[in-house]
Amino acid sequence: MMDKTIKKVLVANRGVPAVRIIQTCQDRKIPTTAVYSTPDRLAAHVFMASDAVHIGEAPPVESYLNMERIIAAARKSGANAVHPGWGFLSENAAFARLVEDSGLIWIGPGPEVIHKMGDKIESKMIARQADVPTIPGINSPKTAGEIRQWMAAEDVAFPIIIKASSGGGGKGMVKVSGEGELESAFGQARSEARKSFGNDEVLVEKYIEKGRHIEVQIIADQHGNVIHLCERECTLQRRNQKVIEEAPSPSIDNAVRSSICETAVRLMRSIGYTSAGTVEFLFDSLTGKFYFLEVNTRLQVEHGITELVTGVDIVSSMLDIAQGKPLHFRQEDIRPNRWAVEVRLNAEDPATFSPSFGNISRLHLNLYPGVRVSQGVYEGSEIPPYYDSLIMLLMTAGPDRETAIRKMDSILCRNLRVEGVKTLAPLLLSIIRHGDFLKGDFSTCFIEEHMDELVSMFTEDDSEEEALKIARYVAEISALGTPNWI
Amino acid sequence: MTDSIFVKPGMTPKEIVAGVRRLPAVALTSTGMRDAGQSDYKNRLRMHDLSTIAPSYNEMGLFSSECHGGARWHVGIMNRRESPFEEIQQLREKMPNVLLQTLVRETNLWGYRPYPKNIIEHVVAEVDIDVWRCFSFLNDVRNMRTVAEVVMKRGRLFQPAISFTQADWTTNDYYLKLVRQIVDLCGGTDEIILGIKDMAGVGSPKRIHSLIDAIRQAWPDLVLHYHRHATDGLALPALLSAAQAGAGIIDVEEDSLTRFYGQAPLMSVASYLEESGVQVHLNRKAGEAAVQKVREWIRHYEWAESPFKGFDHGVVMHRMPGGAFPSSFEQAEKGGFLHLMPAILKVMSLYNRIVRYFDVTPGSQITWVTCSGIVNHYAKERGMAGVSHVIDLLTRFVHEKEQDFEAMPPEEQEELLQLFRAAPGDFKNLIMGGYGKLPMGWPADWVYASSFGEEGREKVGRRSEDSPLDSIPEEDIARLRSELAVQLDRNPTEEEFILFLMHPKDALDFIRFREKYGDAPLVLPPDVWRSGLKKAGDKVEFEYRGVPYSIERVSIGAEHDGVIHAVMKVNNQIRVFKIETPRARKTEIRMAKGLADIGAPINGTVWRIGNPERGKLRAGDIVHKGEEIANLEAMKMENAIFAPYDAQITEIPVTLNQMVKQGQLLFVLEEVMHDAAAESAEMLALPTFKS
Repeated sequence: MMDKTIKKVLVANRGVPAVRIIQTCQDRKIPTTAVYSTPDRLAAHVFMASDAVHIGEAPPVESYLNMERIIAAARKSGANAVHPGWGFLSENAAFARLVEDSGLIWIGPGPEVIHKMGDKIESKMIARQADVPTIPGINSPKTAGEIRQWMAAEDVAFPIIIKASSGGGGKGMVKVSGEGELESAFGQARSEARKSFGNDEVLVEKYIEKGRHIEVQIIADQHGNVIHLCERECTLQRRNQKVIEEAPSPSIDNAVRSSICETAVRLMRSIGYTSAGTVEFLFDSLTGKFYFLEVNTRLQVEHGITELVTGVDIVSSMLDIAQGKPLHFRQEDIRPNRWAVEVRLNAEDPATFSPSFGNISRLHLNLYPGVRVSQGVYEGSEIPPYYDSLIMLLMTAGPDRETAIRKMDSILCRNLRVEGVKTLAPLLLSIIRHGDFLKGDFSTCFIEEHMDELVSMFTEDDSEEEALKIARYVAEISALGTPNWI
Repeated sequence: MTDSIFVKPGMTPKEIVAGVRRLPAVALTSTGMRDAGQSDYKNRLRMHDLSTIAPSYNEMGLFSSECHGGARWHVGIMNRRESPFEEIQQLREKMPNVLLQTLVRETNLWGYRPYPKNIIEHVVAEVDIDVWRCFSFLNDVRNMRTVAEVVMKRGRLFQPAISFTQADWTTNDYYLKLVRQIVDLCGGTDEIILGIKDMAGVGSPKRIHSLIDAIRQAWPDLVLHYHRHATDGLALPALLSAAQAGAGIIDVEEDSLTRFYGQAPLMSVASYLEESGVQVHLNRKAGEAAVQKVREWIRHYEWAESPFKGFDHGVVMHRMPGGAFPSSFEQAEKGGFLHLMPAILKVMSLYNRIVRYFDVTPGSQITWVTCSGIVNHYAKERGMAGVSHVIDLLTRFVHEKEQDFEAMPPEEQEELLQLFRAAPGDFKNLIMGGYGKLPMGWPADWVYASSFGEEGREKVGRRSEDSPLDSIPEEDIARLRSELAVQLDRNPTEEEFILFLMHPKDALDFIRFREKYGDAPLVLPPDVWRSGLKKAGDKVEFEYRGVPYSIERVSIGAEHDGVIHAVMKVNNQIRVFKIETPRARKTEIRMAKGLADIGAPINGTVWRIGNPERGKLRAGDIVHKGEEIANLEAMKMENAIFAPYDAQITEIPVTLNQMVKQGQLLFVLEEVMHDAAAESAEMLALPTFKS
């Protein structure tokens, strides 16, 4: 029997997730090992860990997706457990298996579960078996014609959505609004699926208009305890990537809430899930019905708002579960009494979403009552062009939604300053100030539908920015002397 | 002495005119915020400092503050990086009692080319000014119609101004005829004030008395506003004469601003007139406060003063307007020909007898570029002896032979026939009637032969007496706006668009400057604005948007590969600025040499490659003889460059907005025979497909 006590955790990730995991490990006095690619040599997570191992060059396949190197790093540093964070190898069953086969503790659900739920088609089948409602769809069509046949047979009308069977995170997803787009969309989805996941199998589903994205946080130990930490609303997305999340969801009432949470628990129990995971649903606000979307067999970006409303440290629970300990709380202990909002501060142009790389020449954030910050960078950091654009998560919590949003507004508009790279901050601020958002009236298409309006709400008047322009002038004239045009 | 606030923004023109008529005293306009700065400080006085006298103006009982227009607009965006719209906004806040006055050219407005009617209408309607002093350098009253119409329809005060000079042909009868036309144009004398614009300061006290008296006798109700520069040293007696003859308003400036070429000193004028028995409307205490306020900052502008100092009674001959003095001398200094200035002024005094118009913008620029060009040409070819020679030649021609061309010996005729060959395009445009009818008729035919060579005779036949308002086709305002939007990559504000309409290239520079440096031009004190912070620990402190700021110099590094790092503290926080120096960009200049090379005719900026019809030209394009292929801007004037023959462009070694030297290579052409040109043009027109 393998010793299940975690002595040192290798964090197989970078940036925000790596920092997050190291934080809890530090709280628990568990040493950590960071891994880094060449351009990340001086990244934030490297210096937070107890030690750090270089695992390869910039391209993820050579570093953060390089399983052998990561295992070797664990050996080298003496880590006996691996936490994959989110993204990269976090939902890779082969890696989970490799970790276990190497005699290390995998901090997450078992490889079988990851494998089963990682396949969209299979997971949907499992959901149906567990009596969880699913969206009408067709698996693995080989031609557009097959899609047409299915639509005719099941009386499904456009729009539909094509997704990579083994995908996640929005890649390989294409919405099809009409017959005219079908052929090309099908081709595009397959090609994206192949490029992103090495497998061009796709599935097609009815597209729920005005759908809301609601997910349930599950935590389960190895002793059959499966409990939920309530739901999160993750409806605000752009290009199928979440931008703003909140807990609880403003779109459902208590009856739906308990129904959706119990459904999630039922599903996870049926597959023998362990560790932290999330069941994602699409909520049709027109009919009040919800449909199973997928299970995320990992820690999620937005787990922090659940921690804020429930008081549970999910990462800490994952460490306990991985060591075989039973959960130290029961379902009835979970009594959320806060409203929390999270925004994802990506280094992107807020109007075009094109990534903004380079040096963060200034990073200033005033701490503020009711704020939680999860940052993967520091002032002076370089944002390399190879990875995710997330640099920081900002969360606020208050007794109600209005307070949480108001605090977020204060942070974004007066207390955060990032220079050197562009961030989504102006867009995030526009969204949380938008009347429909404040009313809770939005769908997954909100950003897309309101983009022009949101961009027009960008506050251009930034006094500090303007003062710096003046300072730049003074600096230039001081350095170069009186210009000839003056 | 009376001192109430007797006119205010918001009054109708009728109320304003009635207010001046009722006043038992002469009212004052201060030019301290515009012409004073233009005439003695190259228009460099900044809002940061000028606005400090606004609170005094607000109580002085002025008729108006001339704070806008003339060259201040252009120099504002080009050199001070201030927008004329910002200035108006600030002044409205700081002196709400005071009528804001502009100086506007009748068809050129604040730019340097005649605009079509629709642009004039568009621009004039957007500028928040109370008193519109409008002049024509040709005294062509027809040209004022559009500005008059828009201003009067807006309920603002129109002040048509007659351009004054003292010459044998500018008689009282000549001016009375003009005033008649103006009164007719404006529907009487109740809603206008007539400006008398003595822009060079040449009106002798007697002459001015006679002129004003004659106008008063013909139109006793017409309010007269005398504007006079001090260049000849006789401003005070001339102003007294004007007031005694019945001028209701006179222009003055703060005593502490007074140098040589602007207006007369406010307090001196008031005292002199009062002692002479003429009542002056002025709150003396507020006037003194304004004068004192100026002393707090005027020493920071010594660098901007004209290199030529002292009164110049010779102005009665050369007639260079006060507003052009510092800029002309500045150009001469920068161009390395300051020593030729006496000769240039002499040539101007002869030239203005050959081609008769009024030396005020754009006429003064045409005179300046033409005459400085002639003198520089002779100096370059034949040294100072050549300069004396051309002055002798012109003196003989004008004074001895009384401009009888045939009376000149043949070789001197030949020389005169070359005199204007290199004159700027605007000179040639002027004598063709491009600006309207010349006040005393066309120049002699030899001037055309001299300007156009063999085509001179044909050009004489093609002169036009039409007003440019009637002859210039309207422009597509929406298209111009989208042109700017493309350049900026965003929608321009209305104000930015108007700046662009006036000065396309400089407005773009201005907008980009402000995008980069924000409100630096508004908040920085003059020394920091001009020279920055001199040593470590030096700081500049100011209030901006209601909070205090401090910028402190910590250290400035050495230059490496064209980059300097400057460390500054901004409100105590360290900031490092990466600064690119111009060194990195230095390249060798190619000059035009062969017949196929087109060189720059002047030092200037290439602000257009191509022409508005065709758009930008690129290497490989076919151009046709006479087609405009580029345009340079220099000394406020546009200079078109035309294709000398049908040709294909093989190379364009300059880029847009590049500064070029005279003779620098702009285009390399390859002449094409007619058939080939047609063929290539046809080929270019056909779409090509790649398989």
